[in-house]
Amino acid sequence: MKVTIDKWIGVSTWHWNHAQDEVCGICRVAFDGTCPTCKYPGDDCPLIIGECKHAFHMHCLLKWLTTESSKGLCPMCRRRFKTATE
Amino acid sequence: MLKIWSMKQQQQQEQKEAAANGDGVVKKKVTAAQIRVQKDLTELSLPSTIKTQFPNPDDLLNFLVSIEPDEGMYQGGRFNFTFKINNNFPHEPPKVKCTQKIYHPNIDLEGNVCLNILREDWKPVLNLNAVLVGLQYLFLEPNASDPLNKDAALDLQRNRDGFKRNVRSSMAGGAVAGERFDNVLR
Repeated sequence: MKVTIDKWIGVSTWHWNHAQDEVCGICRVAFDGTCPTCKYPGDDCPLIIGECKHAFHMHCLLKWLTTESSKGLCPMCRRRFKTATE
Repeated sequence: MLKIWSMKQQQQQEQKEAAANGDGVVKKKVTAAQIRVQKDLTELSLPSTIKTQFPNPDDLLNFLVSIEPDEGMYQGGRFNFTFKINNNFPHEPPKVKCTQKIYHPNIDLEGNVCLNILREDWKPVLNLNAVLVGLQYLFLEPNASDPLNKDAALDLQRNRDGFKRNVRSSMAGGAVAGERFDNVLR
């Protein structure tokens, strides 16, 4: 039997390569979703991971760090938040 | 960061256009705080001693809480609180006030509450469940080292049994050191 492919449609899924927690501790929305201000997940609303290994939506964490009461600390462990450099 | 701003601008532009087109229905925006509060509320798992009440069911950001400790020196009382959550939640803690005048080292006569996680130790990963359980804990273990009502704290520190008696009489609407308190017995 000979098969001729007329057309094919590729389908793919994605998720962040970070499964430690499934939701952002600040907004409680899935990492694969968006922070409350964003519309599109993925590169438009990336994750940020600290040296302490705690991850958040970047926008959520940046908003927290701009508040005075955050004192620059990770909302999970209260260690100084520094972005992990791989 | 740049991208956030450009997206924000785009959003505003879209909103303006929608308004100009006379789409009429101005969408009431659900704020991030509302979404987060909604999540926290659905995840509440409270002991039977803590009850929440929503005077306006459409307004999740303002509600009442009553705590009825089933042990400790405040057992038998019903303590009422108002919770006010602003639009910066969870970046700012809820504003919690006791609506009764009670004799407690960590609650002043105006009803202001001194609980670390409502003040300096607040962090956005805490949820309403943690706050409510923390609030109940104040009635199980009043904390004399971090007082708002200094007289009550001193009383607790110096003479625990005497403090207990004062708590009992204050809860029944009696006076302690010339200050009359609300009857909070259920």
